[in-house]
Amino acid sequence: MTDHITIDQTPALPPEKPRLTAGSWVRQNLFSSVRSGILTVIFGVFSFFAFKVLVNTMFENPDRDWLAVKTNLRLYAAFAYPITQFVRVWVALGLVLALLGLSLGIWRSASAVAARTIASRLIASGLTVLAGTLLVGPPVLRDEAGEPVYDETFEALRGTWRSGLEQRTGWFLLAFALVAAGVALWFGLGSRRNTLTVPTTLVVWIASGVVIGSTWVVRYGHYGLDPEGVPVGDPDSLVAMSTRMPWTVMWLLVAVAYQLGRFVSRWNSSRLLITAAWFLAPFIAFWVILRDPAIDYGHVWSTDLPMFLGFGVLGGLLLFLLADPKIGELGRFIAFLLVVVAALTFVSGFYGWFSMLQKARISFCLLALFALMANNFAGDRQTRLRFAGAWVLLIGIAHYFITLMNSPSTLELRADSFLGGFLFTMFAALFGLMFSFPLGVLLALARTSTLPIFRLLATWFIEFVRGVPFITVLFFFDIMLPLFLPAGMEAPDMAATVLGLVLFSSAYLAENVRGGLQSVRRGQYEAADAIGLTGAQRTSLIVLPQALRVSIPPLVGQAITTYKETSLFAIIGVFDFLRVANYVVPNQSTPVNFIGHKLEGLIFVSFVYWLGSITMSKYSQNLESKMGVGER
Amino acid sequence: MTDTSVADTDRLSGNKDMIVCEGVNKWFGDFQALKGVTATIKEQEVVVVLGPSGSGKSTWIRCINRLEAHQGGTIIVDGVELSNDLRNIEKIRSEVGMVFQQFNLFPHLTVRDNVTLAPIWVRKRPRAEAEQLAMDLLERVGIPEQADKYPGQLSGGQQQRVAIARSLAMEPRVMLFDEPTSALDPEMIKEVLDVMKDLARGGMTMMVVTHEMGFAREVADRIIFMESGEIVESGTPEHFFTNPTEERTKLFLSQIL
Ligand SMILES: Nc1ncnc2c1ncn2[C@@H]1O[C@H](COP(=O)(O)OP(=O)(O)OP(=O)(O)O)[C@@H](O)[C@H]1O
Ligand SMILES: [Mg+2]
Repeated sequence: MTDHITIDQTPALPPEKPRLTAGSWVRQNLFSSVRSGILTVIFGVFSFFAFKVLVNTMFENPDRDWLAVKTNLRLYAAFAYPITQFVRVWVALGLVLALLGLSLGIWRSASAVAARTIASRLIASGLTVLAGTLLVGPPVLRDEAGEPVYDETFEALRGTWRSGLEQRTGWFLLAFALVAAGVALWFGLGSRRNTLTVPTTLVVWIASGVVIGSTWVVRYGHYGLDPEGVPVGDPDSLVAMSTRMPWTVMWLLVAVAYQLGRFVSRWNSSRLLITAAWFLAPFIAFWVILRDPAIDYGHVWSTDLPMFLGFGVLGGLLLFLLADPKIGELGRFIAFLLVVVAALTFVSGFYGWFSMLQKARISFCLLALFALMANNFAGDRQTRLRFAGAWVLLIGIAHYFITLMNSPSTLELRADSFLGGFLFTMFAALFGLMFSFPLGVLLALARTSTLPIFRLLATWFIEFVRGVPFITVLFFFDIMLPLFLPAGMEAPDMAATVLGLVLFSSAYLAENVRGGLQSVRRGQYEAADAIGLTGAQRTSLIVLPQALRVSIPPLVGQAITTYKETSLFAIIGVFDFLRVANYVVPNQSTPVNFIGHKLEGLIFVSFVYWLGSITMSKYSQNLESKMGVGER
Repeated sequence: MTDTSVADTDRLSGNKDMIVCEGVNKWFGDFQALKGVTATIKEQEVVVVLGPSGSGKSTWIRCINRLEAHQGGTIIVDGVELSNDLRNIEKIRSEVGMVFQQFNLFPHLTVRDNVTLAPIWVRKRPRAEAEQLAMDLLERVGIPEQADKYPGQLSGGQQQRVAIARSLAMEPRVMLFDEPTSALDPEMIKEVLDVMKDLARGGMTMMVVTHEMGFAREVADRIIFMESGEIVESGTPEHFFTNPTEERTKLFLSQIL
């Protein structure tokens, strides 16, 4: 009988790292010695008073009126965009968010948060809300119009502490809910809280879902201006349906797009397609959705379509022939000829000898560029057909957008640009980053090129731009650009600011990429050469992918800087997100009066900027480790 | 210099010249690394290059696919002369495979993608065909099951075999090996040498810089001994190991054997 031999059925777990109890943590970290104890007490007291001053400045202060933000959310979102057409703003935002969801699904981030961290953060934020609620002074008494009531010494009159606490049930509930959720998670998971992790994407999605979902049940109040411009203020109702509904749709859209992204990620081409979509999206959002151009169809049939067909068919044919592997020197000669023609069309246009349509000029340039690349695509029939097809597609897209840009907008605008507020900031940052990224890479390559002329030009450009304040660049483009742009082309603000931003941040990006390029080992170049890759293939297939991987953290840092730098646009008179808070709202006198209420807006704007930056940087931290797969 | 054996085996007589080096010189600044190197390597010949450290072995074979530019003399590979003409360089590089001491695999690509890169981008093969070829080659070097891993997840010996498969994927007419086993742990050397022996038996023209005397003895048609940038002696393994004529060769052999 072997009954008394017991076999331990539980699988051997790795020994758990011993965790300190709360008491010993406090002793070891805060009061380990007399000196550290004193420092802890001093800074603890300091933080307490700083926090108390902060909440009392923000809330229950006779000088604060949060209606300045609540009423003007539409201004903050899109500034002067016509209210009747506001659905276009939502569609544009939806497009960006759908792409975001798709991308998150395709490039699934490995980023995850430990359950333990989530629980403790929830408890900590709940306790902070509770402390804030208790530390705010008694409520300021206000009259019917919402103005504070003052006594003869111009002290604002306040109610009792008790009445304050009674009025703040909402905040107490919030604090309680946060703490309860944290505690439930902590004890509900038991010891698994130390091992379980939740993907960051899911955490962000659930958190925003809770906020958005709560607008359907919690009476946050309904504020704003109705389409006639009459102020609406109802503290006891739900958030307006025109806010609640779109946000809910956006939130679901991201989830659907994410799942779709996961599904399509199995196809290799999905990555290429989504990248292309990102480059097209701002144009579509800007010129098609938001600007709503009035297209002259007579002109389309008589000029635009024939021209597209001409360039598409003839150009495609030419490129198909140029990609013939047997063409040799003749191909290079034809490409060179096309470059000359393209240059001449510009020169002749400049002097007005024979001014060709702007579209034709641009098309010739693109054709010349393709012709120069043709011998990289030399190969069998299929490759050549694909190359010619790519040309037709590209020229089609280019002609489409040029037609859109040349058509007048149907919007009735109250300002000279239809973008403003956060919408402007978002588009400027998106456009700016999208174009400065490739430009930065090109500059970095040029700076490390073996051709001295490229090296010299790139070095001068980079060093010049980095030596000049961003604002100078902005002023420069603000003044110079209108001199270059053809008349009738709208959105000079956008063009000037984005151009400035692109040039400026591309110089910084270039330096980051250069760092990455230098980290690619010499053996990689040699191996690429040894298997017979051309210089261009070596760069794009071997060197750049490795260099960019290394430079992800500084590149994301630069992206965040660029996003925040859009706020400098306010200086050249653009009504960006920050300027709404700093200038527009504090000068409002009719139909609502918020003269002088600047701080509320600044706090709100800072919070939104911070939210964007922190999300970007959190995601990038794990992007790096994910992309590094296989290098370990 | 004594050259007792330009393709003296029956096996190679009548084969055409694959690599012809004629008085090749190479300077690094003021230092002359190659001093008039002259040698002819026949099609299907396996040549092992021996010599002390710093004798110019790497420099020589790196000149043959133009990883270094030579500065005097001529190098003709498969009838094409290496000059500054970019098209000749591209042509020769696609005919000549090279295996490095440090493997130099592309760390951001899977094993499969490492191997299919040249067929797709240099030979312009359709992807499906290239992948089939890659799998065949990985089979041949004995690691088809690693196709979807990244180089960093493989052992040194496996990495070097992937590197060989990557070079073979171009279907080269010549393979150059620069100390392919020097960065490997002893127990992995054999698996790489076995692959190389297989290749040699299959009729590949090979130039191998190595310190593996066993391999040289067994596989080489000819051994070339270099010192200070010059070819000192060249002959069959039998001649080289048993009856070297030059004093410097004898000294070298006495140090390593
Ligand atoms: N890039 C370079 N710049 C300057 N000198 C070099 C360079 N590469 C090689 N040399 C010199 O050329 C000589 C020959 O070098 P090579 O690498 O060809 O030697 P080797 O025979 O391969 O030696 P080893 O067995 O150590 O690999 C050495 O003296 C070396 O210092
Ligand atoms: Mg060497």
